[in-house]
Amino acid sequence: MASPQPIRIPEIFILWHPKCPLGDQLARRIFAWLRPGKGLGPEVFYRSLPAPGSPVGGLPPALPGESREQTPAFTKNRLRISNMQVVLPLIDENMVADPAWRHWLGDIATPSSLRVTLPVALDATAYNMPGPLREMNYLRPAGPQTQAAASAAAQISEDGVRSRLKQITEAMCRLMLPRHTSSMADATASGSSDPLPKVNIFLSHAKQDGMLPARRLRDYIYSQTQLAAFYDENDIAFGALFSRVIQTGLDSSDTAALIAVRSALFAGRPWCRRELSLFRRPRQDSTSVPGQERWRLFPTLVVDAMDGMQYSSGIPELGNSPMIRWSDDGINLEELIVTSVIRDAMLASFHSALGASIPLVGNQIVINWLPDPTTLLHIPALRNGQEFDVFYPGRGLSGLELDILQDYFPMVTFKCFEDKLS
Amino acid sequence: VTSAPSRYRFQSGQKKVISFSISHEKDNLLARGLGIEHLRDLLIRLARQIVRQGLSLAYGGHWKETDDNFTLDLLRLISDEQQDNSMAGPDSSLQIGMLYNHSAWPHYLEITPKIEAQWINCCRIIRVTQEQAGLRGPDIVQNYDPKDSRSRFNAAVTASAMRRLSMHNSTIAIQDVNPSESIPQIDARILLGGKMDSYSGFLPGIFEEALVTLALQRPVYLLGGFGGATGVLADAILKPGARPEELTLSWHKKHNPSLRPLLNTLSKRGAPPQFVPPKDQHDSLFSWIQKARVKPAEVLKTGLSDDDTRTMISTRSVTTAVRLVRQGLESNNKLNPLPA
Repeated sequence: MASPQPIRIPEIFILWHPKCPLGDQLARRIFAWLRPGKGLGPEVFYRSLPAPGSPVGGLPPALPGESREQTPAFTKNRLRISNMQVVLPLIDENMVADPAWRHWLGDIATPSSLRVTLPVALDATAYNMPGPLREMNYLRPAGPQTQAAASAAAQISEDGVRSRLKQITEAMCRLMLPRHTSSMADATASGSSDPLPKVNIFLSHAKQDGMLPARRLRDYIYSQTQLAAFYDENDIAFGALFSRVIQTGLDSSDTAALIAVRSALFAGRPWCRRELSLFRRPRQDSTSVPGQERWRLFPTLVVDAMDGMQYSSGIPELGNSPMIRWSDDGINLEELIVTSVIRDAMLASFHSALGASIPLVGNQIVINWLPDPTTLLHIPALRNGQEFDVFYPGRGLSGLELDILQDYFPMVTFKCFEDKLS
Repeated sequence: VTSAPSRYRFQSGQKKVISFSISHEKDNLLARGLGIEHLRDLLIRLARQIVRQGLSLAYGGHWKETDDNFTLDLLRLISDEQQDNSMAGPDSSLQIGMLYNHSAWPHYLEITPKIEAQWINCCRIIRVTQEQAGLRGPDIVQNYDPKDSRSRFNAAVTASAMRRLSMHNSTIAIQDVNPSESIPQIDARILLGGKMDSYSGFLPGIFEEALVTLALQRPVYLLGGFGGATGVLADAILKPGARPEELTLSWHKKHNPSLRPLLNTLSKRGAPPQFVPPKDQHDSLFSWIQKARVKPAEVLKTGLSDDDTRTMISTRSVTTAVRLVRQGLESNNKLNPLPA
């Protein structure tokens, strides 16, 4: 029987050579993308300049756990929450040509159960790194690249940044999504030969007026990403039992997120509402015990596909789901929607893993999403008016949001992960 | 909005002011694996909790639209928290704290009425003039010129005075209005980073700020693990032994090219009242350091144990730094931790 994979709580290390003109800029974009604010997302650290006290041209501080000597300030007082490192070397000609960096990267990239390396190519020389790295599938700009662009190490286009962010997000999501061990039999931790099944995005739409955005999103997913889409037109065999196929799609451990194309008729379509209501129902973690429960919810992104002047009723199941406005002429809109929802799925998995590290005593519940009344009402202990502490991801909601939750759940005290884990 | 008192909001306000002395030196942080994002994260995590407890902040940062301008980060935070607090029904009479921005001549000359008006409900700008620094008559410079030695000297003297004056209650005089607006003293300082070799005063700003706070026996939270001038102070406390060279005037004369001309001007023109000669300040600072080596928590008034104080001084973890400073502030000010 399949069993859940071990809980992985990653911290991210972005490495770039001090002479790489793009490194700083790209590293900051990656940081901002993976940590979107409010204390959400994994810890991200940099490695570029030599560590304090190192000779000129020396290496940056070692990664935690490396055999290279570390000063006590790096090892002492370090919180021991994370149990996995994701290393993102931003590889350019300077890194390739520097023997100390080559040697270091060669060591780091050696397959390990605690470290995953995702090499990012910044120019065409990046593939000349030593063995373990060279054999990996680099993250690189999608589509054909001209010779000029490949050697233009001094500049990085917005397209280039977005393309790399998209690939990092996909790779991180595949890595973080809780799967069952039976589906990842030959998983290696190096990331160099990723055997994990594709991450699936469920597309929910009303056929009458939501087809165009849904089809474009599906086409984008299959042509531009390493993801898969559950789209009923393709994924429900003729004659199959509609409800069972949808339920299976929603229940699959590869399904990471749902995109709801909210057209004018969406709220009135029973199957759309059914999909939404099933997906927006938190699921209890198998490690929960009575009174000490861990709940998980995968993210939903709403694509607002209402035309101007149209009228539609509200959908309470959506709760605090984020929304992006659809436009038929939107440039890169599919990419924005898909990458955003996958980033949210990665964050949901991360917060679920982080929540699992919180020891629970008494009446305490951990959730992996920012709380809203609709989703919380699915949790019987909270619905029944018992006294509970609820731990939720991030740095804390606004006072107004907390006051509203207090009105709905007067016996519940909401506490953020940051306060609990610091 | 709520019928019952909110358990997420402070119930009694205190008029205390917590000062941040934080500066971003890119290479210094990057050598430790961190960037401005980590600094901003640390600042906001600490400031948010302080403001939510009803306490005020002091930060002497500039007003230029630059990436490392933490003044605007703090103002946006306070503005958001003020708006949020105004929704709190019965508790909203308790005012969220504000930002006190002490600004010495000539820096305040860059603050336009538009900037001040934009943030008037979140911020008080306290301008410290050359006269307040004890300069008189012909010594006053009318038009600041960065190439003029007297301008640079007056700016350094006024910056020192600002650090000293901010530790005491003061007022902003308003014509025909009595009483004047009162400005509370700084009750505790959080120090991080700071320049060691390119500062424009008589000694590193962080050194001066630590000294004026220690002299009044108020809490000093040294976050030395992030390097800079604070890191030098932290190392001096944590590594007993001879006096570190960096805590001597002679070291600074060698490493900061702009110091010697200032000292020359000082010897020619003499010091204004209350100005403490730089050598005496270095000596005094080292004397505090020696005491802190033995009893760090008692000397720095951290509200923590000695072990936790040493951890706070040396940690390179933003999370640990935030936790310990918060713990110390809560202990010193008898604050009840608020769930969030």
